[in-house]
Amino acid sequence: MSILDQRKLIESIHPFELLSSLTLDNLMKKIDIAYYPKDTLLISKNLPSIAFYIVIKGSVTELIDDEIHSVFGAGDSFDANALIYGTCEGRFIVDEDLICYEIKKDDFLDLMQDKRVQSYFLQNFVTRHQHLKDYDAQSSLTPFLMSKVSDMYLHNACIVAPGETIYNALLKMKELKASAILVQAQEELFIVTDTDLRNKVLLGKNSVDDSIMTIASSRAITIDINDFLFNALLLMTHNTIKRVVVKQKGEVKGVLEQLDLLSYFANHSYLVAVQIDKAKNVEDLKNIQSDLKNLLISLHTKGVKCRYITKLVSTLNIKMYKKVFDMCVEADLQDKCALIVMGSEGREEQSVKTDQDNALIVKDGVDIELFSEPMLKLNSYLLELGFPPCAGDVMVSNPFWRREVHDYKELIDTWMNSLGEVNLQALSIFLDAKCVCGDCTLLDELAEYLHSNFHARDDVLAHMAKSVLNFDTPLSMFSSFVLEKNHSNKLDLKKGGIFALVHGVRVLALQYEIKETNTISRIKKLNNRGVIDKNFATELIESFDTLSSIRLKAMLGAKDLEECNYINPKKLQKNQMDLLKDSFKIINKFKKFMIFHFHLNMVA
Amino acid sequence: MFFSFFEKFKKKRNFAKLKDNSFSYLFDEDKSGEYIVFDTETTGLNPKMDEILSIGAVKIRENKILTSQTFEVYLKNSKEISSKSIQIHRIRPIDLKNAKEPETAIKEFLEFIGSRPLVGYYLEFDVEMINKYIRPFLGISLPNKMIEVSELYFDKTISLIPQGNIDLRFDTILKNCAVPNMGGHNAVNDAIMTAMIYLKLTKEKLNDRSPKETNL
Repeated sequence: MSILDQRKLIESIHPFELLSSLTLDNLMKKIDIAYYPKDTLLISKNLPSIAFYIVIKGSVTELIDDEIHSVFGAGDSFDANALIYGTCEGRFIVDEDLICYEIKKDDFLDLMQDKRVQSYFLQNFVTRHQHLKDYDAQSSLTPFLMSKVSDMYLHNACIVAPGETIYNALLKMKELKASAILVQAQEELFIVTDTDLRNKVLLGKNSVDDSIMTIASSRAITIDINDFLFNALLLMTHNTIKRVVVKQKGEVKGVLEQLDLLSYFANHSYLVAVQIDKAKNVEDLKNIQSDLKNLLISLHTKGVKCRYITKLVSTLNIKMYKKVFDMCVEADLQDKCALIVMGSEGREEQSVKTDQDNALIVKDGVDIELFSEPMLKLNSYLLELGFPPCAGDVMVSNPFWRREVHDYKELIDTWMNSLGEVNLQALSIFLDAKCVCGDCTLLDELAEYLHSNFHARDDVLAHMAKSVLNFDTPLSMFSSFVLEKNHSNKLDLKKGGIFALVHGVRVLALQYEIKETNTISRIKKLNNRGVIDKNFATELIESFDTLSSIRLKAMLGAKDLEECNYINPKKLQKNQMDLLKDSFKIINKFKKFMIFHFHLNMVA
Repeated sequence: MFFSFFEKFKKKRNFAKLKDNSFSYLFDEDKSGEYIVFDTETTGLNPKMDEILSIGAVKIRENKILTSQTFEVYLKNSKEISSKSIQIHRIRPIDLKNAKEPETAIKEFLEFIGSRPLVGYYLEFDVEMINKYIRPFLGISLPNKMIEVSELYFDKTISLIPQGNIDLRFDTILKNCAVPNMGGHNAVNDAIMTAMIYLKLTKEKLNDRSPKETNL
């Protein structure tokens, strides 16, 4: 009976559930329970590991170079590497009286004969991460947004030459039961839809004998057959179109219809986009807000990667901004300025609205006072729509953030020359600027100015980079949490991990003059430039995704904004906890990289 | 001094009563360095009337509970088990399908424990139950040294709380020793939990995994 209880416990620990029932039975006969009081040294360089430990109660800290590397609590196990390779860099010390199962070294190595167990323990960080995430996905809802375009039903593509008459093209279309006509004009692909036919043939002056090219006005938007379905949804949402052309290795494979996609997704992201477009006043927009939140929740529970959710939400938010901008700024003023969003909105990483950072750039020589009233109106609309106000008052309602181009350049100079806390913070926010409407070349000009100014100014960069080290990675906090000595039972995901990663990557992007604002895109670009290697880049992206997704979960459950960066690691599932720990390890690695890269230990 | 002499004397008299010499090993000096933690599930709390349903035991060596060598046995009963006691020990008549004749089971148990010291919670009761079975065919009572964990716990706690009552209930000791409750009320689990308490109470000063090796 009791052997069964213990067995159940072992079985609940990944990857032991992979073992066959027979192997597990044999294993159970070899497991002992051991007790180690606090401060016992279990494994170190001079004390080779003799067993594989599975914690029943208590906790163990792994120290490398006297820094906390990892903390093991109930249900955790360690340390496969020490057993397999026979050596160990770190020191494992009992932090809280430990009761644990011990699988003796030889028995453990026997266990490793099982391929699946072996692969789990031998994998490097990224693959194990993936492994755990897959495991996570299995246990939760089907991640159906992970499906690819190739999984969908594609409509026949009716491709005609540009010289074909409209009549013949329509015949062919009917024959193929296609929903649109594609016109192949040399390298370019155009699309003729029912709307074109109605507006230009039935209501317009074209006759059915004219060549099809005369009514083909818009270029077809294409997507690769191996791309995620989600990206197809993004394309449609972004361009307000109803179909995309699917290509495989440059060849047209078919047409993906929005209707099919929507019925597949059964959610309303496209509808939300259309609603935004059609909104006539703020009231209409307000009604859409609740849809947005529902969309967010449904996508999250369906297991969509966090970065895709935030991308979609950003796309919709930008539409919202555009609409409000149209409502507030008169048409003749619109191309004399640029509305920019900054901070998390600028990076397209805001899922739940946490604050707004926006500013207005006005063309040189245009009277800035013309904009003050429309901007105040815009700000009030945004607040009404539920965009929370910015604590630092980085909003268009503040005259400080409504400037002419040359004025902004002066501001940049000030930021560069004084290395004060406030200035650096403002600069950081500005670095994530993204133009949402108006004349976007104004922002480009400023970005260029910024980059050229920072060229070879490693001293300023180092100062900026230093704040990466402002907050400790909560692995130590984590450990005190395990020890229950901490007064607050939670840890801060933003300060603890996300900030260091986002800010570090931002400074690196500035140094290498990378224009992208999105953190993941920046990491990819940094990898392309050879600043960080592929492996590290993947690790960073996965960590970022893990942290953001855990944070998103917390945000969706949080009652107020204060709460939403905090999570209680004890409430996480076991594998989520592992993912979180692994991510924090990568954050620590990244911090070390930053220290080395900018010689931060030499900056006072 | 006198006490140990008395003990020796008692042991000698006990030995004189031994009917079956093949069990004389029970009186040997213990050299294994191991301890036995055991627990019984019974039909009730009266050793005179009630019977043992199952015995569970584990060995302790140094700081380890050798769950790899767990002992567990079910005993055939002469009477039907009352439904009231089933609620406590959760052993249904069907669970005794593979039960052994009491004498066989007890012999196996004696073989398992040898002359090792016994550890338990309210051990006296469990030992009395066992004695009830061995007296008829061996003539002796268990000669092993006995260690009572509630006593260890009492000694430890009394210095902290000079006056007042000390709660000696099993669950309380479990909680105060921060030993996980493994649930599933059965003889082996109870023995394992008792073993954990014993380790916790006796091995609090161990600075290295094995005392022989040097610390960094």
